[in-house]
Amino acid sequence: MPRFGDRPISCSTTAEIALTDLRFYVHDLRLVTIGGSEVAVTLLEDPLWQSNEVALLDFEDGSGACINGTGQTNTVVRGHVPEGDYSGIRFRIGVPEDLNHADPLRAEAPLGYSVMHWHWRTGYKFLRAGIASDSDSFWMHLGSSRCEGTSSNVSSCRGSNRPLAELSAFVPGVDVVAVDLQQLVREIDLTDGNPTDCSSGPAESECEMPFRALGLDFETGEAEGPASVFREGPRE
Amino acid sequence: MTGLKVAWSLAIAAAVAVAAVSVLSSRDYQWTLPEGVPLPVVPADNPMSNTKVELGRHLFYERGLSVTGRTSCATCHIQLLAFTDGRGRSTGATGETHPRGAMTLVNVAYAGRLTWANHLLDTLEVQALTPIFGEQPIEMGMAGREEDIIQALRDDEYYAKAFRAAFPGDQDPLSILNVVRALASFVRTIVSFDSPYDRYLRGDNGALGPEQVRGMELFFSERLECFHCHGGFNFTDSSTHANSLVQSVGFHNNGLYNIDASGGYPSDNTGLYELTGERRDMGRFKAPSLRNIAVTAPYMHDGSIETLPEVLEHYARGGRVITDGPYAGDGSRNPYRSEFVRGFELTTEERADLLAFLESLTDQSVLSNAAWSDPATD
Repeated sequence: MPRFGDRPISCSTTAEIALTDLRFYVHDLRLVTIGGSEVAVTLLEDPLWQSNEVALLDFEDGSGACINGTGQTNTVVRGHVPEGDYSGIRFRIGVPEDLNHADPLRAEAPLGYSVMHWHWRTGYKFLRAGIASDSDSFWMHLGSSRCEGTSSNVSSCRGSNRPLAELSAFVPGVDVVAVDLQQLVREIDLTDGNPTDCSSGPAESECEMPFRALGLDFETGEAEGPASVFREGPRE
Repeated sequence: MTGLKVAWSLAIAAAVAVAAVSVLSSRDYQWTLPEGVPLPVVPADNPMSNTKVELGRHLFYERGLSVTGRTSCATCHIQLLAFTDGRGRSTGATGETHPRGAMTLVNVAYAGRLTWANHLLDTLEVQALTPIFGEQPIEMGMAGREEDIIQALRDDEYYAKAFRAAFPGDQDPLSILNVVRALASFVRTIVSFDSPYDRYLRGDNGALGPEQVRGMELFFSERLECFHCHGGFNFTDSSTHANSLVQSVGFHNNGLYNIDASGGYPSDNTGLYELTGERRDMGRFKAPSLRNIAVTAPYMHDGSIETLPEVLEHYARGGRVITDGPYAGDGSRNPYRSEFVRGFELTTEERADLLAFLESLTDQSVLSNAAWSDPATD
């Protein structure tokens, strides 16, 4: 559920801040038991949104400020876990490495969308997020950087750039995961009339702040800690 | 002779085996290349065929592949200008200015890497996705609209038929995969080896005048060093072909900028540095082919040099001086400048000879060959 601080936010939010885009991939989803052990969630396959390795969440509905959006949305990741007492959730944002550099022209859902692939960079846009006020805006496209090899045979990307989400008070069935975009822009002045954008290039200094909010070390691309943009929230 | 016969019979056996599984799979495209010119690399999963090339020609000129319905590939790749657009920086369908200029497509089948500064991009099929779907900047503006493209092609009588003919083995031939395969196949056919220079190499001593021959000798001299980056059969060190054992890939800083005396380039055009973040890659761009260079002004990745005489001046000085404004600096002192851009002195006559040689690299047939023209004018 997208939020801006305490408020829900959508493409059609009229008060101050509106969503312009929010789509991201989730993989490596685990629940944490009360005893502290991790249990992997088996993702259900879906013709549009999920394979057994990765899910695409899409919160923009193409209305209002989401001028480049699509009508379809997907706000739920569906999967199975053994019955148990769970009190936490962990997941990674992004596409797993083995799928990230496969031929995008032959990719199946949820990896077959032109808008989520970074053709000239190779690999996928792990996350597209944007917000706008009347006078200012911010957007970011997150993906792996500093890749080597060639598009048909990428050997490695030194900037993995896959954030880690970790919510230690998440109760499945009771809580939902909230995406707080205010956290993403917490260090960015959204009133100065200077639009800010970040497309994960290694030389883009404007990326340092949103990377920190995502728990990523901008220099190494590693997740140093959990992304502060994700938190548990009550079902509404 | 015996060896040759064996090879042929093997080839026939292979062709029969292929025909048995895919009866209509047409691989009838014939390259027409002068003797000694190697075949370009063609991906194994996208073999050439006449029907595919012809479909690709239609798609290349298809304005329906843009969000406004007014821009096609040919908008920025104009045949009369050797498939460039005469602008320093190209303009996308929605009016956005690209940081860089449209590169020529002539002999792009032989390019080791594609576009101005990308060490990753090596196949035309993948490259074709960027102008169609790219968002930074917007070129054709079709990001997220692949279903619209497919539907429009399906609704068109010519395309519905042409895709079936070009991809006879496919259950569902109308796909983005096949759009870019056809486009890549067409673009691969744009080959040029019939400039006066090529004819001179093939033994036609009259093809070049004496001033052009003198200019050629200068071009290939250690004194000028041009050929280190603009060398080989395609006048670029980023060339490959079907028989090459190693891929040659080169990116060079040619001293166009030196912002703040620390080697910097304008932030929207930092070359390979944009992708690698390594300071040593600042300002490194691919050396473009010099074929048809006389008709592809303005020059450099950002069109910042208008004419060929000014290009020669730039290299003679070993870098450009910008005296004021945000880009001020002496490019000849750029710490990342290529070792081959060192400057040289030219007499007035030598300058004229060199320009005459560069003009001999224009292949007039490229600019008018009907096989690459807009099907609407057929």
